[in-house]
Amino acid sequence: MAVKLLKSKSGDATAQKYETLLKLSILSLGAILSFSTRLFSVLRYESVIHEFDPYFNYRTTKYLTEEGYYSFHNWFDDRAWYPMGRIIGGTIYPGLMITSALLHNFLNFFNFAIDIRNVCVFLAPLFSSFTTIVTYLLTKELKDEGAGLTAAVMIAIVPGYISRSVAGSYDNEGIAIFCMLLTYYTWIKAVKSGSVAWAAVCSLSYFYMVSSWGGYVFLINLIPLHVFTLMITGRFSHRIYVAYSTVYCIGTILSMQIPFVGFQPVQSSEHMLALGVFGLSQIIGFIDYLKSKMSKENFDVLFHALFTLVGVTVVAVGSILMITGKISPWTGRFYSLLDPSYAKNNIPIIASVSEHQPTAWSSFYFDLQLLVFLFPVGLYCCFSNLNDSNIFIILYGMTSIYFAGVMVRLMLVLAPVMCVLGGIAVSSLLGRFMKDIDQGGKGQDKRPVKPKEQAAQGRRNEISLAFVGMLTFFLVMYAFHCTWVTSEAYSSPSIVLSARSYDGSLIIFDDFREAYYWLRMNTPPDAKIMSWWDYGYQITAMANRTILVDNNTWNNTHISRVGQAMASPEDKAYEIMRELDVDYVLVIFGGLTGYSSDDINKFLWMVRIGGSTDRGSHIKEQDYYSPGGEFRIDREGSPTMLNCLMYKLCYYRFGSMYTEGGKPTGYDRVRNAEIGNKDFELDVLEEAYTTEHWLVRIYKVKDLPNRGAR
Amino acid sequence: MMATSIDSRKLFSVIFVISVVILVTLNNVADANKRNKDVNALSLGERVQQLTDFSNKRPVIRMNVQKFNDLVKGTPRNYSVIVMFTALSPARGCAICGPANDEFSIVANSFRFNSQIYSNKLFFALVDFDECGSIFQSLKLYTAPVFIHFPAKGKPLSQDKMDIQRFGVEAEAIARWIAERTDIQIRVFRPPNYSGTMALIIVSVLVGGLLYLKRNNLEFLYNKTAWGIASLFIVFCFTSGQMWNQIRGPPVVQRTQNGISYIHRSSQGQLVIETYIVFLLSSAITIGMILLIEAGKGKGDIRKRRVMLVVGLGMFALFFGMILSIFKSKAHGYPYSFIMS
Repeated sequence: MAVKLLKSKSGDATAQKYETLLKLSILSLGAILSFSTRLFSVLRYESVIHEFDPYFNYRTTKYLTEEGYYSFHNWFDDRAWYPMGRIIGGTIYPGLMITSALLHNFLNFFNFAIDIRNVCVFLAPLFSSFTTIVTYLLTKELKDEGAGLTAAVMIAIVPGYISRSVAGSYDNEGIAIFCMLLTYYTWIKAVKSGSVAWAAVCSLSYFYMVSSWGGYVFLINLIPLHVFTLMITGRFSHRIYVAYSTVYCIGTILSMQIPFVGFQPVQSSEHMLALGVFGLSQIIGFIDYLKSKMSKENFDVLFHALFTLVGVTVVAVGSILMITGKISPWTGRFYSLLDPSYAKNNIPIIASVSEHQPTAWSSFYFDLQLLVFLFPVGLYCCFSNLNDSNIFIILYGMTSIYFAGVMVRLMLVLAPVMCVLGGIAVSSLLGRFMKDIDQGGKGQDKRPVKPKEQAAQGRRNEISLAFVGMLTFFLVMYAFHCTWVTSEAYSSPSIVLSARSYDGSLIIFDDFREAYYWLRMNTPPDAKIMSWWDYGYQITAMANRTILVDNNTWNNTHISRVGQAMASPEDKAYEIMRELDVDYVLVIFGGLTGYSSDDINKFLWMVRIGGSTDRGSHIKEQDYYSPGGEFRIDREGSPTMLNCLMYKLCYYRFGSMYTEGGKPTGYDRVRNAEIGNKDFELDVLEEAYTTEHWLVRIYKVKDLPNRGAR
Repeated sequence: MMATSIDSRKLFSVIFVISVVILVTLNNVADANKRNKDVNALSLGERVQQLTDFSNKRPVIRMNVQKFNDLVKGTPRNYSVIVMFTALSPARGCAICGPANDEFSIVANSFRFNSQIYSNKLFFALVDFDECGSIFQSLKLYTAPVFIHFPAKGKPLSQDKMDIQRFGVEAEAIARWIAERTDIQIRVFRPPNYSGTMALIIVSVLVGGLLYLKRNNLEFLYNKTAWGIASLFIVFCFTSGQMWNQIRGPPVVQRTQNGISYIHRSSQGQLVIETYIVFLLSSAITIGMILLIEAGKGKGDIRKRRVMLVVGLGMFALFFGMILSIFKSKAHGYPYSFIMS
């Protein structure tokens, strides 16, 4: 706000210099802040890649830097989905990998010898710094520099965005938000100037966006929606015609260069709005041209004739296609767009994934805090001062709040617009009152003021001061909230776990990496590892061994086969494991440490998915419940449960362990129960390795016995 | 639509327990059984024929005592019968029986009118408590509705009684259970529900008609204040979690030991009343800030503006503190608060 203060003294050359200096320093401090606030996990643990999907991205990036682009493009991965394999080059968005590979090569060219893993870890924070700068530019175009700076500083620390871009969370979204805002900025520039150059830059940044995230579909619908709204409100002009035609043509052609996107932009229904608006803008352009060349009467006749002709043709063609069944607008897909509960009721896999949950009000507050209330104020400011670019930001806000309400992970798309509108709101609030305070000081020497008015002025200054103080307090509180949320909720890498012991000291569980490293060092290079799909990406990336299923859940029958093996008794499971050439089985077990997202707690999903295909029809969820209808592992549990492979692998030798004081042996600290089947031996498997805290247990599948040996 | 109504009703009345004293004595039942055994001269072929005839008339065969003993309990059988034991008469006041009956008929119809799977290996039947209470007694059934599968061989086992507490009474669940017990996969076909489409058409006709009537004065469509208020309303709906309510259908209030609570205790959930409170609070905060902006505009009476300023400032601070304290009570361990704790 100091900018505003100085601005009012404009005309002074030194003041202008100060202003530029202040702007630059605020902006660069914001960029540095957005980088550094994302480093909690690096400071607490180490420079490590988080979660599951980032490991796949890391592995592909490593391949890209080592083997070059062409072999990356044609890469057939035989380490995953044994025995089928997976074509990597054509099934991913390569933008992320190419970005970090370029960055890595660039730095190495100048002899900054930085490891590719560190490039991957710090890429998301780096791009959030860029996002901060782009947000400043975008908001500056929408309102003014003050709003731009406020929005930039807000987006630097907003938790809704941090949740996906902390150091180590090496995923598409990390760079996609930057690409999205860059595209918006260049689009606003193109709309304002009507220049082909800005439109071309816009389509280039759109291309970058397409190459990096599937969420580009939101963008290619939002921009046509903006153009369409401008048409309805009578604001369509040559500037917009030029901008949109250029962006659509170049953008579509460029986006089709990504192998994974292919011909979708001209075929799939998600892109039809863009095509339709493109056609519409040509028609309107043509009509405007005719209007300028013809007399009004002639034009009216022509217009009516054409209008009727086109209308009749469209209705006729539409109904013919509908009758013949070529298009069917009233299908489930249509309803799922209107009624979000449709997907939840009819597609169980969507219901099971926590990222597809709707958003409760407390998550809005948790991820955005003050912005939740500033956002409507910003909308109000935009409405009270409508212009072409404000309409765009209103549309962006309204559509993204809908998507964020339906799916909690789309908070990521909402967070930037919240910051932009929040910045506009704060700037309009502060702008007015800062001026009051400022003038209050200067007012007296300019002109003689009547005593009554002076008193009113004075009291007003006090109120203004109170308000400015309070808003500053709230903004400080916002900063504290964001830092707290980042540090508490969004900075755990989930590959390294930590817990507090009884005396308050920190215990680190590094069992996952211990197990993967053991696999890498102690198993033959062509060993096939069976585990549940959650750990697939991590095993291929860290242990460099072949796995059966991974987090790219493209083949349900194969996952189902693994689920069947886990849910079957040992002898049946052995047949499946022989069929799939399994050498080692890896399970995650939290009963000793109290780690609750282990395989036993995921086991019901294995049973459900295992029983969902023909070959697993003998596996019934019912059999795994106790007579009382509960999922239990103690003495009450069903015999099928107590003898299945997963149970045995998790609880092998656990029956003789003391886990908690005052409890019998074999006491499971996650399920809080003494296990039901304590004393058993494994016939066809043997324990190969168990990590320090028993989090990961690895078993070797024995060969077939020699003839006559038994 | 159907399914949601059942869900909500299931919450309130789990299963209706028949509270009527059963008058038929054991003696009577024994007699009836003996009598039936004498009459029971129907051969397997005749019984299958009879059942097929009945089910051609109505997919769900309504049983009386005689028919039940002949066709369902009679041996030998080479067919399965799915029987729903229910109490449909309004006097019984069984809230879930009606919807359960609808869902059961949907399954029966889906089976009957699907020529690929339709066979005389599976029949659907209905036994009403008011028509043949003795059957209920002989099977020791004290609740309704109950679904029992009478297999082709032998007597019903414990798994042949569907656990509606866990599975619910939706047609899909019944079909899945039948597939488990009999290996006949029934694809449930619901008669299409046109009410949504109809509502859409009616609304669009109304809106279109209104626009047509006011066609000479369409200025109101370009009224940006109206659009602004509408969008703010939508924003508050979403930020207060109305979409979550729509999808999850939480209860309005929650009863606990300490009386009725309006706020859900964890940040994972929310109650309907709670979202309305949040809606009001957040709109109050926003209105407070808008008042501040308007007051700062420097137009109009200075006294009025001063009132606006003070009111706006007060609303902003007070309601923000309130919403913060609500959030703090939900998110355990949240360290910040303002004005109130």
